Amino acid sequence: MKRRGFLAAAVALAAAGTRAGAASGGEAAAAGPGAAAISLVSAPQLRDLLDAERGKLVVLNLWATWCVPCLREIPDLVRIEQELAPRGVTLIGVAMDEPGELTTRVVPFHQKYFPAFRSYLRSEIELDAIASVVDPAWNEVLPTTYLLGRDGKVVRRVQGAKTLEQFRELITAALAA
Amino acid sequence: MPKAPRLAVATLLAGIVPLAALAAGAAAPIAVSEADHVALAPDVAVGPRGEIAVLWLDRGVPAPTPKDGHPAEHTHLSSMDLYVAVAADGSNFGPPQRVNRADGEVWGFAVSRPRIAYGPGGTLHVAYPANEMQDGIGKPVLTTHYTRSTDGGRTFDAPRRVSTLTDADLSSVIHGGFASVAAFGTMGVAPDGSVHIIWIDTRHMRGEKDNGSIYGVVSRDDGRSFTQDRIEAADGVCPCCQLSLAFDAKSHAYLGSRLVTADGVRMSTVARADDGTGEFTRRVGTGGAPWHIDGCPLKPTVLAVRGDAVYTAAHNGAETPPGVMLATSLDGGASFGPAIPAHPGAAVSDAPAIAIAGDAVIVAWHAKTDGPRRVFYRTLDATGAPVGDPVALTDGAETSQSAALASRTDGRAQIAWQEGQRIYTTAIEAARP
Repeated sequence: MKRRGFLAAAVALAAAGTRAGAASGGEAAAAGPGAAAISLVSAPQLRDLLDAERGKLVVLNLWATWCVPCLREIPDLVRIEQELAPRGVTLIGVAMDEPGELTTRVVPFHQKYFPAFRSYLRSEIELDAIASVVDPAWNEVLPTTYLLGRDGKVVRRVQGAKTLEQFRELITAALAA
Repeated sequence: MPKAPRLAVATLLAGIVPLAALAAGAAAPIAVSEADHVALAPDVAVGPRGEIAVLWLDRGVPAPTPKDGHPAEHTHLSSMDLYVAVAADGSNFGPPQRVNRADGEVWGFAVSRPRIAYGPGGTLHVAYPANEMQDGIGKPVLTTHYTRSTDGGRTFDAPRRVSTLTDADLSSVIHGGFASVAAFGTMGVAPDGSVHIIWIDTRHMRGEKDNGSIYGVVSRDDGRSFTQDRIEAADGVCPCCQLSLAFDAKSHAYLGSRLVTADGVRMSTVARADDGTGEFTRRVGTGGAPWHIDGCPLKPTVLAVRGDAVYTAAHNGAETPPGVMLATSLDGGASFGPAIPAHPGAAVSDAPAIAIAGDAVIVAWHAKTDGPRRVFYRTLDATGAPVGDPVALTDGAETSQSAALASRTDGRAQIAWQEGQRIYTTAIEAARP
């Protein structure tokens, strides 16, 4: 069993990810639908991102690479965003993996499976810090998806993986409200 | 640099820290982790002579904040270490001592935390999830490791893997990058001295919708050797909800776990080890609203046992508001009374811990009421009925969370928790009716 080789490589890459993430911190808002980039996002940056989307219905999805139910629903969310973008729906993901795993795990994973998913990786140490931007009473369950109305307020919290049809129904209802 | 502790300047060797807003019934908190390290996920144990050991994950010294003001990064998940601080006399803690030998081999977080327990002879037992590389397939795996100290925590044996390393490659199923996982486990020491380690194992998973299995090992020679790992419970194990163990006075084991039912409920359950096989074959739900969720709750079901009474606490996301629910069995876990909220006034409560305290029971958790997370605790009587209201252990000046509890020999309970990036501990007393 070789343990150290893997860890040394992982730590080295994580350190590289730290530098890349820090450098890209101010560029978080530059990503968009179809973008392959994924970068770190802090709580204030997420707040700014959401503020910039005022006037749209924002689907904010909290996920992680290790959360299998999360991974099942992401392709459906991306598809719904593509369908409903003309009606003002936009999708933003925040990966709740460890911030140090940006380049070792999250970027490669994102590029392999969901390159069209506009997503960021939390830079906050505490999971709760990033979720509290929209939900101070988040109970640390993944996946959690928030529907934010055009005024930026949460109109619906959805926990657990949902199907394409369930999401389409929920989002369409929120658009009509 | 991490923020200064809210309590006061602690001594380098984990001195006693005065606390202005000390909760009634709580002794002065003691900082046990180093001030400049990022520490999390504590566990606590009390020995037969009243000695106390606090264990935690340590992420080292955080990197400095970059010039652009981006929040300080912390180290990779795979590069954590495990530290312990021991108070041989029950009050004066020595300096933090590293437990693992290989740098950064420890994997874990608040809901897959390493465990520590004393044996009846004073041996200190530790179990933790560890990163390894499965050379045969060239991919990382998570395994369960064990070590012990027979000199009061000054030195630890070379850690050993107690979970079988399989050649299965489930990296396309697990998706976290691991080929196999033996984690989310726990450890307990029975009154007869037997050391039990159990974990959630992926070796029987074949697809994304499969659940995990519970595997375990036992040592009956104070941790010198362990049995071959074997399956303890096979069906419907929520793969991401940490297990818990407790024992009655006759060393019967009780398992707290979350069962995934056929209709998708993640149900908190208790199972008593079968007298003949020792397996946990009959898992009994602890009640509360059915929580239908296709997700990763990361919610343990914790329990404490005295006589035929089994006291449990678990988060239930189907309750309004979502929070920690308490349920008690007075018939050895065969059935449970109604589940009641631990903290009715909280916006959310989570991460419970529970321990016997004399003739009462103490349950602790973190919750949000009107500010950041704070640690609260509450007393239950012998029937599981609450005695008094929740008591705030911390004042909310800084986020506090992830409480752990252990029964003390003086009838109180020892609590450890994370506050900011530091680990604290103190003794708390049960409320009296």
